[in-house]
Amino acid sequence: MNPPTLDELVLATPSSLGSYGPLMHEIERALASPQCSLGMIADVIEKDIDLTARLLRFSNSAYCGFSTRLSTVTEAIGLIGIQQVQDLLTASSVIERFSGVSNEFVSVKSFWQHSLATGIAGRLIAMERRLPRPDRLFVSGLLHDIGRLVLILQAPKHAQKIFELYKKERILLREAEVRVLGYDHQNVAEALLKSWKYPLSLVLAVGNHHNPSGCEAARVEAAVVHLSDHLVNAMRVGSSGERFVPPLNPQAWATLGIKPDALAMIVRGIDEQFDAVQEMFLSA
Amino acid sequence: MVVSEDVKNIDNMLLIPSGCILTARQIGILQAWGVDNIEVKFNGEPDKVDKLDTMPADALERLTSDVRASFWKADDADPVFAELFKVILRRRANRPVAN
Repeated sequence: MNPPTLDELVLATPSSLGSYGPLMHEIERALASPQCSLGMIADVIEKDIDLTARLLRFSNSAYCGFSTRLSTVTEAIGLIGIQQVQDLLTASSVIERFSGVSNEFVSVKSFWQHSLATGIAGRLIAMERRLPRPDRLFVSGLLHDIGRLVLILQAPKHAQKIFELYKKERILLREAEVRVLGYDHQNVAEALLKSWKYPLSLVLAVGNHHNPSGCEAARVEAAVVHLSDHLVNAMRVGSSGERFVPPLNPQAWATLGIKPDALAMIVRGIDEQFDAVQEMFLSA
Repeated sequence: MVVSEDVKNIDNMLLIPSGCILTARQIGILQAWGVDNIEVKFNGEPDKVDKLDTMPADALERLTSDVRASFWKADDADPVFAELFKVILRRRANRPVAN
């Protein structure tokens, strides 16, 4: 049986926004209004009681690190920013969209733990490197291995072959994907996120996180996701199926210009923020 | 750690009030403002014992071997690998159970 093409995988994957879709559209409509205010956006979010509670808990967590306690959605949006709230909703909707994936090859909870920790790492590295929009790197990290879930969901027989080969020959999971399919999970993610019309820098960062030097247009962002994935694999926070810590690309490390002694602080930051982020995204 | 004195910039603008728990994010903000030292105090908890420093030799050897085996490529001559290995080893000694 021939492996599916990338286009076939993308077409077979549901494109709806899940239960957050109407809320996200309503926020977009409010933002487009000339009378738009933080209060209007807060009114939209407050219609979802669960989301409101989670957003407030999240805003008061170590991840956000604000020195004052936030008690209203308006305050939370004002300090976090509307763009970040939208990114959080996007991330929540993607996690929800893949909630039905089988645990046969990889524990879905463990998969998202790995992904969330990679997102936290991406944001911390972006902050350390003083990059603009560190929250965008959180979303890139969160989605970096989404192609693997698409493969399990849409091509389970090929996924089985991949995992068998990976176990039998003790090779990297990504190498097994290339041998069975002719492409890997990052190619699948790139095609999917492109079809969902995600920002190009995010699509390229996710689509090149194993070969960050090969993508000039998003070299730094891809290097951030690459290092984040490396650190989180080394920390063993969750797993996207890979048993080894894949090698760190020396060019990616050089691109980021981070000093080795910053690694301890980043690892500590991931540990400090992980519980709050997990509660925000995986508590439903 | 808790900030023990208000942290202000050169224009006397309050960056972090005293009593605030210092997080990685706030350290980033301080770096961005060029603040290179602040007064802190510990949260009142006794210093935790670093289990790596007190680990029996055979347990340390097993842990070292386990951590090394998890890396696809382990090159001690690479300063980045050497530092990360040290960080992960210490973390594993102190947090043996995965999240």
